[in-house]
Amino acid sequence: MECRVLSIQSHVVRGYVGNKSASFPLQVLGFEVDSINSVQFSNHTGYSHWKGQVLTADELHVLYEGIKLNNVHQYDYVLTGYTRDTSFLEMVVDIVQELKRANPNLVYVCDPVLGDHGSMYVPQNLYPVYKNKVVPVADIITPNQFEAELLTGKNISTQKDAVEVMDLLHAMGPDTVVITSSDLPPRLGDRFLVSLGSQRHGNDAKIFFRVQVRPDGSRTTQRVRIEVPKVDAVFVGTGDLFAAMLLAWTHHYPNDLKTACEKTFSVMHHVIQRTISYAHELAGPGRRPSPPQLELRMVQSKADIEDPAIVTEATVIS
Amino acid sequence: MAGMECRVLSIQSHVVRGYVGNKSATFPLQVLGFEVDSINSVQFSNHTGYAHWKGQVLKADELNVLYEGIKLNKVNHYDYILTGYSRDTSFLMTVVDIIQELKAANPSLVYVCDPVMGDHGAMYVPEELLPVYRDKVVPLADILTPNQFEAELLTGRKIVTTDDALEAMKQLHKMGPKTVVLTSTDLPSSQGDQYLVALGSQKTVKPDGTMSIVKIRMDIPKMDAVFVGTGDLFAALLLAWTHHHPKDLKAACEKTVSVMHHVIKRTITYANEKAGPGKRPSPAQLEMRMVQSKSDIENPDIVVEAKILQKS
Repeated sequence: MECRVLSIQSHVVRGYVGNKSASFPLQVLGFEVDSINSVQFSNHTGYSHWKGQVLTADELHVLYEGIKLNNVHQYDYVLTGYTRDTSFLEMVVDIVQELKRANPNLVYVCDPVLGDHGSMYVPQNLYPVYKNKVVPVADIITPNQFEAELLTGKNISTQKDAVEVMDLLHAMGPDTVVITSSDLPPRLGDRFLVSLGSQRHGNDAKIFFRVQVRPDGSRTTQRVRIEVPKVDAVFVGTGDLFAAMLLAWTHHYPNDLKTACEKTFSVMHHVIQRTISYAHELAGPGRRPSPPQLELRMVQSKADIEDPAIVTEATVIS
Repeated sequence: MAGMECRVLSIQSHVVRGYVGNKSATFPLQVLGFEVDSINSVQFSNHTGYAHWKGQVLKADELNVLYEGIKLNKVNHYDYILTGYSRDTSFLMTVVDIIQELKAANPSLVYVCDPVMGDHGAMYVPEELLPVYRDKVVPLADILTPNQFEAELLTGRKIVTTDDALEAMKQLHKMGPKTVVLTSTDLPSSQGDQYLVALGSQKTVKPDGTMSIVKIRMDIPKMDAVFVGTGDLFAALLLAWTHHHPKDLKAACEKTVSVMHHVIKRTITYANEKAGPGKRPSPAQLEMRMVQSKSDIENPDIVVEAKILQKS
């Protein structure tokens, strides 16, 4: 498999968020991963302390220039996640646009990290940049419910709302949308949460090698619903792992969002279960594990990453 | 490797594209089940053998700040430290301070050091790094992977014969490290001029408390290409395999050198394919086929045999 990903995310010395969370699993699955580290911090910001340095938009540009001068700026995928800086984000958009001109088949996987549970945790001025510049060039996006609502200006109370929101997101650009978590009532009970996915096929405007068009030229949309067990812990880096694995599994199943989601959510389940067990072991009985103890058990999950046992079934919805 | 809890702190370069420094060391160690914490001493677009390279360097102060973060969270416990190419004396001095502190926190810590200074008779780092390596870094190292030129620089003695090389390694042991691998030399190989000679020497303490020493030699096929990042891969693999074979340098080196062989062969084949017949592959084409070599890294077929020169 010859597939090169450019991933522009954070680097932490210790732990698994950003590029640390995305690179190893993608490499284990055979992807070449070029990584631009948007920051270098000692650890993620959920610890008691964190220290480090950030990359400026100019410095990002300089690194990209190096790649371009050597004529090696050909990528199959771009992957981005958490950013706090509008000028940095705008530079990312410029780079993605240039890379798409160099390779029209490039797929941009974007986690539009804005916030969760009703509030933003990045500066407010990132919102218009995502809405007006980033999402329009994205091909796959992985918003949570809050981010999907924010980007479309529409609230989600029912599954019908969610489907409409995903259609609105398709109209903004991306042909693949996965709402990674929602407050919709799960059918399996309150120990579960509902995720939804939607994939639009048959877009003539983009030269996709994996276009699926109806004979009359109209677009088909596959929509799926998946219920995953809730976990009683705060994890960091799971969204980054999710986006990376969705990249990998949609690569292998470009027209089958159901399977791509089942694989992705299953890997997440295995990694999280292993992490929870280990964290509780370290913390001891009756004690809440600390952020260091809750770091994803990434290297220990190599076999699950390579070949995930499917533990959750996605339902195709209309 | 199930259940292995082993944490490495690797302080090396990061390149956006390609495999040198931390990019070269991290994936193989993770694949072998090691937790790798990595401090990137620079972030460059690619290694400096390409026509162009651009990026930023980490200052000694900034290194300190990152380490402070780790320390404040009380997670400054490592089983191994791994360092390689460095150009900055103040950066290297800060690395020394960090290692001393980490060794105080964990006296069993093993420091694997590639004392990168030059090759084929010429230094390719600033000269002022030599006294820092010789007087401060090497004394802290537990495993050292110099090439012949670096061994000569550190010991102040030229290596012409195998005895010279063994003497130099003995002197390096006295300076600190119990394990020394001369990764390449100009010594003549009994297998002909398509081979280069590598030597290893390890001192261990026997159950009865006395010292034991083993010296080995390997004849390794030469490669007709310039690779970058192979030294970094070597040091990382030697860390891994000496971890699994702590008192068996022969086994550790055979595995390490065998993995190197598989990765390099795969890389040469691919590079020549990409370049086309009769053309020399470019630096971009010669990047190591790292992710493609995952199975060889996990479970290497042994393709080179280390000969025991001396065991006592």
